[in-house]
Amino acid sequence: MQQLMERIIQAALDQGADFADLRISNGAATAIAVEDGRADKISSSRSRGAGLRVLVDGAWGFAPTNRPEEAELLHCVEDATAMAQAASSHVTDPGMVAEVEPAHGEVGKPPRIRPDQVPLKDRVARVFELERAARSYQPNKIANTVASYADGCGEMFLANSLGTLLHYESTGTSIGLSVVATDGNTRQRSADRKANRTGYELIEATDIETLGKQTAKKAVDLLSAQRAPAGTFDVIIDHRICGLLVHEAFGHNSEADAVWSGNSILAGKLGEQVAAEEVTITDDPTLPDLNGSFDYDHEGVPAQRHVIVKNGILKGYLHSLETAARFGVPPNGSARADGHQSVPIVRMSNTAIEPGKWTLAEMMAEMDEGLYLSGGGWGYVFTAQGQFTCNVEHAYRIKNGKLGTHYRNVCISGRTLETLQKVTAVADDLEFELGGTCGKNGQGMAVDAGGPHVRISQVVVGGQETQ
Amino acid sequence: MSELLDIAQKAVKAAMAAGADFADAYCLEMREVGVGVENSSLRETEVVRDYGIGVRAFHDGGVGRASTQSLQPEDVVECARSAAALAKAADPDPDFVTLPDPAEPPPVDDLFDDTVAGLEVEQVVEWCTQAIEEARAIEPGVRLEGGASLTVGSSAIASSTGIGLQRSGTSLGISFQAVVVDGEDVGVYFEYDAARLLNDFVPTGVAAKATQQARRYLGGRTVKTKRLPLVLGPLAASGLLFSCVSAAAAENIQRNRSFLAGKEGQPIASELLTITEAPLVAGGLSSSAYDGEGVPKVERRLIKDGVLTTYLHNSYTANKAGVANTAHAGRQGYRGAVGVTTSNLQVALGTRTEAELISEIDEGLYIAYGGLQPDGASGDISATVDFGFKIEKGELAYPVATTMVGSDAFEVLGKIDAVSSDYREEPGIIVPSLRIRDIQVASQE
Repeated sequence: MQQLMERIIQAALDQGADFADLRISNGAATAIAVEDGRADKISSSRSRGAGLRVLVDGAWGFAPTNRPEEAELLHCVEDATAMAQAASSHVTDPGMVAEVEPAHGEVGKPPRIRPDQVPLKDRVARVFELERAARSYQPNKIANTVASYADGCGEMFLANSLGTLLHYESTGTSIGLSVVATDGNTRQRSADRKANRTGYELIEATDIETLGKQTAKKAVDLLSAQRAPAGTFDVIIDHRICGLLVHEAFGHNSEADAVWSGNSILAGKLGEQVAAEEVTITDDPTLPDLNGSFDYDHEGVPAQRHVIVKNGILKGYLHSLETAARFGVPPNGSARADGHQSVPIVRMSNTAIEPGKWTLAEMMAEMDEGLYLSGGGWGYVFTAQGQFTCNVEHAYRIKNGKLGTHYRNVCISGRTLETLQKVTAVADDLEFELGGTCGKNGQGMAVDAGGPHVRISQVVVGGQETQ
Repeated sequence: MSELLDIAQKAVKAAMAAGADFADAYCLEMREVGVGVENSSLRETEVVRDYGIGVRAFHDGGVGRASTQSLQPEDVVECARSAAALAKAADPDPDFVTLPDPAEPPPVDDLFDDTVAGLEVEQVVEWCTQAIEEARAIEPGVRLEGGASLTVGSSAIASSTGIGLQRSGTSLGISFQAVVVDGEDVGVYFEYDAARLLNDFVPTGVAAKATQQARRYLGGRTVKTKRLPLVLGPLAASGLLFSCVSAAAAENIQRNRSFLAGKEGQPIASELLTITEAPLVAGGLSSSAYDGEGVPKVERRLIKDGVLTTYLHNSYTANKAGVANTAHAGRQGYRGAVGVTTSNLQVALGTRTEAELISEIDEGLYIAYGGLQPDGASGDISATVDFGFKIEKGELAYPVATTMVGSDAFEVLGKIDAVSSDYREEPGIIVPSLRIRDIQVASQE
């Protein structure tokens, strides 16, 4: 494999490339769905292929193939270089690549339990357990339950014209549940998911019964929750909302490709106060076994912990080889690609607001009036204007430091920098609870996000009822 | 292309030989040429050649599905055998009856354009360089991001019930986000065009429109939290209506997880709303002669005078319900499951223009793009107005910021009090603006 990859890289250089990299990958995945008491959908997929990328006179060319054989790869070299050459005379903001030490060797540790070595019937049985646990919680109110499991194992070889040659092995496992409850008048859904970059040990370590019953309970509880109030509120957000906020509202703005293209509110703000002093934000792929963890990024740069914001001051961005060269800083290992058919782009890994000194009880006790926001599975941001939206599954009125009326299924919105400046307290109870897939430029990527409870003043809540 | 059908048929045969009761296979190959723009400069070019096969096998109703990114005979056979083995491992499903029988699909013209198939990357580069020039002519400092692409693809479906179909298609697309900065203020907007035929494709003006609109979004302001009438522009209306129609997918209804469960034949919207699905339009963006299981498509009303006329069925859900199959099976490429999808939606037009509808509003909100998609189970809506304007005294007054809308699908659909006579059209798709009375708006106080 090494000789093949070196020959292809050399062919690209011979065709006029100033830089070239080649990723050859091979993977297999299994998915199981148990719905309403039946495991009637089981699937497997195999993927293999290669992605060749070249930089020619400031223009990038990319040609993937599903047939990673030498003749086909040489065809990709011709395609990618010819296409880049066709574009290069029109490039006004030339692409570039930072110099890095070439890396060699094996990347990724083997899982403790390879999922594909666990008999399929045993994997199905665990998903059944999860679905059954949910369905058995107040069965007269459970309308639909879908328990899903997925695993994937793969390897990837990376070579580039800087001399890097790495062999990655990776594993990912996830288990999740969606429950719809109904009382005849309304339907409400709750969902939860565990995912990380380890093997079947994730499933072994998961309390399936509790996961099933808790998710079902949340769905049933939502049936009696009221429609949320509309307006501006002081809020306390839980770990999941904090993860959504730090990933969506802030994290995407710290990706240096967005900053360079004028698509980030953090452009030109290095060293400036961008959040309240209580706020420190990190992105750390070196944390063990989370869904966004890795050892080397997909450009061959070692993973490292990034302190993006320290006590409210913007300290840096997440970089690829290209953005590092543009900004004149060392690459920091943040470029990943969604398979061989995609180019590496700047991605977050495990992003969090770091814990503070408060306890949740202390934060609550100080609040006369507000909302406690919990759960929620999705969000998005328009980075250029920095306006975010985060989904909230449960909201509770806070009155005189105590939780009151339960509200359902609402979103919050705000301008990122204004919102982070309005953080008034950060708790000491950091958790990562958002192992999932982040979408950007049509690519999905495994990430995680979290944080402690955080108190924020004056957040807009898009409820249905006038206060 | 007959080679693709041959591969699909061999996969079906292999799955049946491995013990499946029924099987089908979907085979795809495509070539996409794309050019990306970033920071108002050409940045990257790519040519993606993708191909693969997905096989479904059924055993006592349980389904096993396997896919592979290879069309080599030995890989295809292995894929088919995997699907059959997974089907045997799955639980029996007594609701599964059979896969569809073969039927002659209707003719649909102009889904493949030889001219598009013959275009090279230089043409796509030219569309993008022209886009950059036209945007800069309007706003020299504009930050343009997006690109253009052309795709040529072929697919084949074969099944153990005798279906054997193949087709080819072309598509073209161009889309840009424009960012305009004025001090600390930022205006952003998007525009796009898409077509199957070169003659229907209008790349010129897309970047210019995005830039002009981005300038209009400078100076966003908050509004008061109160109930207001809304006007949804065609893109925002399209998002709302597509989400609501998708909630009629029969599997979600049968599983009791859709807010439209029990609503077939019932009014779900104002009687001003009529939506027709038109899958057979020549050159239509989402036109097709048959669905993802090879069942012939027909034009049909999905919502008539506010009444939901039908759920959206594939063969499984139709057989389970004992009703006619509406040919809404959809496939997400060769790797995805068979779900439900709609084709071209055409919304019946009103009698007055969008401007006239706005002119009758003393205070309200205009939403140009995004938002208002209901939760699929509850129908609840809680959405940010990312691209909208305050309406004051019958005119768009200023762009709004940090402003949200809270409602539910039935309230929003039921309170449609006008549909515009002017509309946005993509090949085969017609969406006008909608006016909705009295919806809760929240904003930064």
